[in-house]
Amino acid sequence: MRRMASESRRSQMLRGVLDLCLLAVVVDEPAYGYEMTRRLREQGLSTVGEGSIYPLLGRLEREGLVATHRAASDGGPPRKYYRASPSGRRALAEGVRAWRDVRGEVDSVLATIEAEVA
Amino acid sequence: MTAYVDECRHEWKRLGVPDLLAEEMATELESDLAEAQADGVSAAEMLGESDPRRFAATWASERGLVPEQPQPARRRRWWVWALVALFVLFFVLAPVAWIGLQTVSVSTSHAQPPTRVHAVVLPSFAGLNACQAVHKALRAGYTVRVHPRAYSCNAVIHAENETAKGSHRMVTLWLRRARR
Repeated sequence: MRRMASESRRSQMLRGVLDLCLLAVVVDEPAYGYEMTRRLREQGLSTVGEGSIYPLLGRLEREGLVATHRAASDGGPPRKYYRASPSGRRALAEGVRAWRDVRGEVDSVLATIEAEVA
Repeated sequence: MTAYVDECRHEWKRLGVPDLLAEEMATELESDLAEAQADGVSAAEMLGESDPRRFAATWASERGLVPEQPQPARRRRWWVWALVALFVLFFVLAPVAWIGLQTVSVSTSHAQPPTRVHAVVLPSFAGLNACQAVHKALRAGYTVRVHPRAYSCNAVIHAENETAKGSHRMVTLWLRRARR
C-alpha cells in the first residue's frame, strides 16, 4: 500500500518534468521513441511512470517543440526520429530554470526533515 | 504485441484518425515494441498503460488528431443534469401546469349564471327634517352626529357626510335653520 502510494507520488512528480527529460535526450542528437526510452534509462530514469512517452511526444510535436523526420535504422524498418526544435530548446532552457528554482525551494523546506527508510 | 497494436489501430479508426497517420503511429509503436522485447523490456514497462484503446485515444488526442477526450467526471455528470431536469419539471413546470388548470376551471365557472350582487342603497337625508333624518340614520345602522348639536325637530338637513371605518359607519348631518 505504502509502496503504491510512493510510486503514485513519483509518477505525479515525473509528469510535470518528463517533457523536459524527453527534450533533453534529443537536444543534441535525434532519436526514435524506443531509443529515447533507452537514453532515459541509461541516465537513471528507468521507468517513466503511468502513461508512456508517446502521447507526450505527440504533444511536443503538436506544439512544435520537436521536429520529426523518417530515416532508416540499423538494419530495421524506417523509424520516426525526434529532435528538439529551436522553440523546443528555448522551452527546455526555461523549464530547466523553473525546475531548479522549484527544486531549490522544496529542498530548503524539506532539508530539516530526516527521511525514515523502512 | 501485435494484438496490442491491432487494438490501437481499431481505436484510431473508430476515432476517425486519418489512415496515413494511424498507420504511421502503428508502425512506430510496432517497431519500438519489437526492439524493446529484444532488449528484454516488457510492453507494460515500455508503455505504462495496459489498456490499448485508452493508450491509443490519449496519443491521438495529444497529437491533436482527434478532439480532446471528454473528462470522466464530465461523462458521469449526466445524471446531475437529469436530476436538475426532474427538479425543474416538478417544482417549476408542475406549479405552472397547476395554475393553468386552475385558469381552465375558472373559465368553466363562467358558464354558470353570474351571481347578482345586490346594490347597496345608501339613504339620503337631504331635505328631511332633523328628527326624521336621525331616526332614519339610526335605523340604517349609522352612528349619527348632527351640527349644530342643539337642534329642533323641524330643522332641515342641508348636507350630509358619510364615513366608514371597517364595519362602523357614521353620518354627519348639517342642519339649515328652520324658517320661522
